[in-house]
Amino acid sequence: MSSASVAAENTTIAVRGRDSLWSKAFYKFRHDRMGMVAFALVMAYGVMALGTVFGWWANDWSEIRGGRFDPISADFWFGSNVNGQDIFARTVFSTRTAFEVGLVVAILSTLIGAVLGAVAGYYSGSWIDELVLWLKGVLDSIPFYLFVAAVAFAMQGSAYGMHVAMVATFWTTTGRLVRGEVIKLKQFEFVEAARAIGLPELKIVFRHIIPNTFHILLVQATIVFVAAIKSEVILSFLGLGVKNGVSWGRMLAEATYEVGAGHFNNFIWASLFMFGLVMAFNMFSDALQDALDPRKV
Amino acid sequence: MKLFRLWLLLGLSVAICACGNGERPDTTGLKVYKVALDQSPTNLDPAQGATVYSNHLIVNAYDTLYSYKYLARPFELKPRLAESLPTVSDDGLVYTFKLKSGVRFIDDPCFADGKGREVVAQDVIYSLQRHFDPASLSQGSWVWQGRIAGLDDWQKAGSDYAQPVSGLTALDDHTLQITLVKPYPQLVHTLTMGFAGVVPREAVEKYGREFSVRPVGSGPFRVQSFDTTRAVLVRNPNYRQEPVDLAAEGYDPAIHQAYGLERIAGRSPPFVDRVEVNFIAEDTARMTSLTKGDELHAARVPSPTYDLYLSSKNPITLKPEIAAKYHMVNWTEPGFVFQTFNMDDPDFGYNDDPERNERNHALRCAIRKGFNWNERNERYYSGVGKIFPGIITPAMPEYDTELSRDSVIHDISGAKALLADAGWTPENLPELVYGIPASVLQNQYYEQFRGFMSKIGYPAEKIVVKQYATFGDISKAWKQSRLPLINKAWLLDYPDAENTLQLFYGPNRAPGSNDGNYSNPQYDAMFERAAVMQPGPERTSLYRRMNRLVINDCATITGLSRAVIIFWDKRVIAYPDRSFVGGFYFPYVDIDDT
Repeated sequence: MSSASVAAENTTIAVRGRDSLWSKAFYKFRHDRMGMVAFALVMAYGVMALGTVFGWWANDWSEIRGGRFDPISADFWFGSNVNGQDIFARTVFSTRTAFEVGLVVAILSTLIGAVLGAVAGYYSGSWIDELVLWLKGVLDSIPFYLFVAAVAFAMQGSAYGMHVAMVATFWTTTGRLVRGEVIKLKQFEFVEAARAIGLPELKIVFRHIIPNTFHILLVQATIVFVAAIKSEVILSFLGLGVKNGVSWGRMLAEATYEVGAGHFNNFIWASLFMFGLVMAFNMFSDALQDALDPRKV
Repeated sequence: MKLFRLWLLLGLSVAICACGNGERPDTTGLKVYKVALDQSPTNLDPAQGATVYSNHLIVNAYDTLYSYKYLARPFELKPRLAESLPTVSDDGLVYTFKLKSGVRFIDDPCFADGKGREVVAQDVIYSLQRHFDPASLSQGSWVWQGRIAGLDDWQKAGSDYAQPVSGLTALDDHTLQITLVKPYPQLVHTLTMGFAGVVPREAVEKYGREFSVRPVGSGPFRVQSFDTTRAVLVRNPNYRQEPVDLAAEGYDPAIHQAYGLERIAGRSPPFVDRVEVNFIAEDTARMTSLTKGDELHAARVPSPTYDLYLSSKNPITLKPEIAAKYHMVNWTEPGFVFQTFNMDDPDFGYNDDPERNERNHALRCAIRKGFNWNERNERYYSGVGKIFPGIITPAMPEYDTELSRDSVIHDISGAKALLADAGWTPENLPELVYGIPASVLQNQYYEQFRGFMSKIGYPAEKIVVKQYATFGDISKAWKQSRLPLINKAWLLDYPDAENTLQLFYGPNRAPGSNDGNYSNPQYDAMFERAAVMQPGPERTSLYRRMNRLVINDCATITGLSRAVIIFWDKRVIAYPDRSFVGGFYFPYVDIDDT
């Protein structure tokens, strides 16, 4: 190979590097103002949650130190609840609960969805594909909240019953999307080339195909994150959620008695914080989806 | 074609609307008492009606031998199906009851000609025997277990109704004799309970399992329909004529005149043609149903909503706009809420090591001192509950007003000193698993308890919550002694302190009613002595000594009797007290239709 042709190839690689899906998506995302605002908000919530993990703030959420339904004051920024606990501390600590549930469920369900979806897609038409499709069909045919409530109910002794229930149902959508993408990808030349040089099939799936579905996984993970937070709130409201902690769902459940009696602080602050995070994450997810959409990129 | 479809749709809509209207009968001109209860009954068979909600319907569909006077407080017995109070032999073992003659079951296809036959002594015997027949799935057999001669043996021999029970004899159609194994002064009280409802054998045999939702009794009402959301009772047209003697019922003008109760004097109940009972478990929905006029009366006002309706809590008064529309009564419930230690748990209860046993005693006493009853009362019962020491509730005649209140005083420094003296440190304190059924309120109780314990130096991470799916699940855990602390409310079955004292009687240990497995030979001996005594100073003295033993052993954190606040539409002439036997006041309810 001549030096000229080597130089030309290097230039092409450099141009390709700048023009890759990821760099274009990053560029596009950075210029999406709403997306950036949403991302900043999500980060702010993340810092808030992290602060409770490191014990910087809100770790007195369970402490009884005020009167019954104390109003908003310098001591109680959001007032106090029936037990005299600080609603501000409980609201902030609930962010940690939301992130814990959201992250665990998003990561696990994305992982399971990616693996099962990719395997089903790669072996589409085989018994493996049939089995995965059957499993997804079964799980999808059960009304979502009924299933989640049933699993959470059955596992009430465990602190992770709610997580298991959500992961068991949320992976199916990711799995379906990944399966479709893999069916498309496996026709591509790079897969044929990998097969031609004799790479093991699982290596092809995990090393070459799944990385090409990351844009789907990323978007799907953000969607699952939001769904998990909302489900946690509903399950906690029903008494099936967090066991030994506090969450916005628990606060809203407490508020059912309080609102009728004219005490709104639990209701307002839990709703506002949950609304803020869900809204921000939805917008972030939309922006990410736009940025990573190959048709738009 | 389009026009045809349109007409078809219109026709269907009209048909649906017509069907819908058909479900609501025309009640014009009828007196209808609409009441909302906080739970629905699951069963209307007296053998299985174990809840106050079932009893609302059972004691109205069925007769019991005795009842409580409508207005007299403390509660006083009065004959119902019985002619008078029983005659009792000198040894307290033989009770003879005379039944009213001419009382008939309601007309029903289960009877030979569809006409209700007369209620006789044999029906009472059959109804009691059913509790000892496994086929009845009785939940009330405990009331007479080991009490009536021959009844337990009859069960062991196969519950054959052809075989007589030596302790249950019909001397004639209207005379019943019950022979006891040992004196049981509470026997007559047990005959007021829904469990003692008199059923006809024909109905039980004809309807089988359906009998649980198809009552056939001789009570003042007939159950016209029943499901999980609603029950409708209609007046039994053949109910016996028994004019109300207000004075005999305990009428006190100073208390009862405000409710217009004198208007029922001399008239024979029931006074309403129809009772519509809606079962609305959700507190806010139930109270809204009342205030928007769908009901005339709702079960007691839930404590979280007191602020909405009360202008003052001491004394309890309604807000003027509420008082303008509703009557209100309030009293302290006969039962109580309390927490009791599982004495079988070696970490908190009895321990084979005498030294540890002593330390556990100190630990229990410290936890009791750390529990802040005043705060529990203020936060969850709006401060209107009654805090009392021991296990004899303020509503009982045996309540000891002189008893020291040390056991209900929140004393953080005293608790800390007890822990320190017994060598307890945050590091060596045992983990305390706090069991709760899945409910927001129970979670809040747990958080409050954990807060109390934190203040006496019990690390918050050592007060661990364990959540159970249903009340049935946690009840099972209590019965299997799987939790170190049992948090419960006890509603009395009859107005006698024996009903709470038996909660600590050794032989009643779990799975019996003594969930805490308290075992004190001295206590048990006194209980056995008192159990066969008629009410009197000697029995009261024994009761109070037993009460002090439980307090000294720090076996329980007790107690609080909740306030009962009830208000109802002023058009309803009633005194709706549902203590003990649920809706026994229904027959006396009248509607002012002027």
